[in-house]
Amino acid sequence: MDSQLIQLLLPIIILQFILIIIALIDLKRVEATRGPKWLWVLIIILGNLAGPIIYFIIGRRP
Amino acid sequence: MQWTTIFKKELLENWRNFKWIWVPIVFILFAIMDPLTAYFLPRILETVGGLPEGATIDFPMPSVAEAMMMSFNQLGMIGVLITIVISMGLVSSELKSGVYELILSKPVSYTNYITAKFTSILLLVSVALLASILVAWYYINILFGSISFTQILISTFFFIIYFMLILGIVMLFNTFFKSQGMVAFLSIVTIIAINAITSIYSHVLTWSPGLISDYIGVYFYSGEIETETWFSLAIAIILTIICLMIAITTLKNRAIE
Repeated sequence: MDSQLIQLLLPIIILQFILIIIALIDLKRVEATRGPKWLWVLIIILGNLAGPIIYFIIGRRP
Repeated sequence: MQWTTIFKKELLENWRNFKWIWVPIVFILFAIMDPLTAYFLPRILETVGGLPEGATIDFPMPSVAEAMMMSFNQLGMIGVLITIVISMGLVSSELKSGVYELILSKPVSYTNYITAKFTSILLLVSVALLASILVAWYYINILFGSISFTQILISTFFFIIYFMLILGIVMLFNTFFKSQGMVAFLSIVTIIAINAITSIYSHVLTWSPGLISDYIGVYFYSGEIETETWFSLAIAIILTIICLMIAITTLKNRAIE
């Protein structure tokens, strides 16, 4: 039963992981963010699903 | 020719700021979250505990159609919000920064400018929707039971039309204001207003685009498409075209000023 649970949740974990990585890459490339960059690193890593989303929506400064 | 250039530029830009990756992923995660939670709810409660000894709870397992509608409803909320957020700066940020004047100082037609931007973002949202619903369908097939693939494709198509209307509204407000926040705010207010009016007068406004997701639900439960569905789809398409036309005229008037 538990292996079934892992099989079902594994894709979700992988997707979340990709999301975090992408957000971090973007954070490194972007010149300026709203607020200090180290704070965004914390938000992205600790913010679970919402962290990267919030970063992509309000973090980047054009 | 000119249209393709703007279109390609938009696609490239969306690729560079990773929209092509994060939007589909976020859509997928939100689409499968609700059905998964519903499936594991009894076990989650068991693990978390806190129930008195001997207490038994019977959760009715959602049916296939219910589970699929959970995904659609979630996309109809979070998906719409994200769609607004990613498109709120399409024109308005260029108006603000002056890039817009730079582009239109070349002989670029307003129609090409608006429609190319609209199509590029519509393509992105459609791919995200299709991907998320397919993944949700895959999960629901495993957990709850089978549902036909054509039904999924057709209802996704309906849903894309609904999102097209939302994008049209956002594009319209994009040409009105330079502030992205204003664009997002007014778009959300408009969409809430459409949905509220539709639910109050739902017996009269059977062709309202706000009912599209309800019709998708009916389609899942009964397996048949109601005739009104086509009317509300047609209205959604017509409204989108009107929104885009007003957007183009607004841009023209801005240039004259």
